[in-house]
Amino acid sequence: MEVSLDPALGLALRGGLVLLLGSAAWHKLRDLAAFRAALAGYRLLPERAIALAAILFVAAELVTAGALLFSASAGYAAAALLALYSLAIGVNLARGRREIDCGCFGPAARQPLSPALLVRNAALVALALLAALPAQPRPLVWVDGLTIAAAIGLGVLLHGSVNTLLANAPRLRALRGA
Amino acid sequence: MEQALLVSNVLLWIAVLALGAIVFALVRQIGVLYERVAPAGALMLAGGPKVGEAAPHFALDDVLGRAVALGGADAEGRSTLLLWVSPTCPVCKTLLPVAKSLAAREARRARLVFASDGNAEDHLAFVRAHALDAYPYVVSTDLGLAHQVGKLPHAVLIDAAGIVRAKGLVNSREHLESLFEAMDQGVASIQEFVARSGGSR
Repeated sequence: MEVSLDPALGLALRGGLVLLLGSAAWHKLRDLAAFRAALAGYRLLPERAIALAAILFVAAELVTAGALLFSASAGYAAAALLALYSLAIGVNLARGRREIDCGCFGPAARQPLSPALLVRNAALVALALLAALPAQPRPLVWVDGLTIAAAIGLGVLLHGSVNTLLANAPRLRALRGA
Repeated sequence: MEQALLVSNVLLWIAVLALGAIVFALVRQIGVLYERVAPAGALMLAGGPKVGEAAPHFALDDVLGRAVALGGADAEGRSTLLLWVSPTCPVCKTLLPVAKSLAAREARRARLVFASDGNAEDHLAFVRAHALDAYPYVVSTDLGLAHQVGKLPHAVLIDAAGIVRAKGLVNSREHLESLFEAMDQGVASIQEFVARSGGSR
């Protein structure tokens, strides 16, 4: 039997991922210079490729978000994109370069790299892969609308809380050390 | 039965969303608190010559081949703001225009000297890219070791007599200005100033 997912769950996951990728792209577009600086900080790409790569990442996020609106299998693309970011973070953590700006939360919050980011991304990748599963044939009723909307709302709140906690961690460490 | 489950489910969703919103708001508030409590001056790290001690003597050539003397009494009677930067540190780049404008403002009593270590060619390109040729730019590992520079951007303010007056990790204009403020006030750091003036901690 093929693995499949309840359609309400699938739609909630896809909706959440659309918001996640859309807001990520929006943050990067709003301050492209900051994103380029963060990208350069990762030291994974040659200096000349940075400007192009920055545009490509934003485009990839927007296209994936758009595709998720129409097709569940775009979840694979979202998972791949998130996994790529995790890889970049992982490589720099392995190099011991924790102090560079993560560039993960938009330009407002400078945030050093930490293993916790990898855990967060792994959870997101798992959710994206779940979203890519085919939906079970089941007619949607009005309660599903409530479930989908509420689950997306909860997802946004939880994601925001986790991000803020991650951003707070270095400040707390700085306070303890001072 | 189905009706009862439905009602309870709707109620639970509302409760979960409300709790999620409250958690989010609390976490945000904690972030704001950390920001307010954090010291606004340059953070002083242990190691290197302490405030009040003489800065180590160095006679170096900068990347453009100009002689730079550090430590000891200054011939022109000016203080020296030593700023460690690196081409690979994003914060340093944002701090460069700030350092330049501060150097222009304090030009009568202080000179700005950039310091770093590593490959001289990279630094030459960095100097060109950010138009730093008006300032001495020394590349010396020994200088960094003598001042125990760990994190960048790091600044040390040495007065005209060659005594370290203030130092610390600098991330912003406020941090850089706090070094001059500390020298003027005769305190070692903004943290000490806060402690002395009975700041609540």
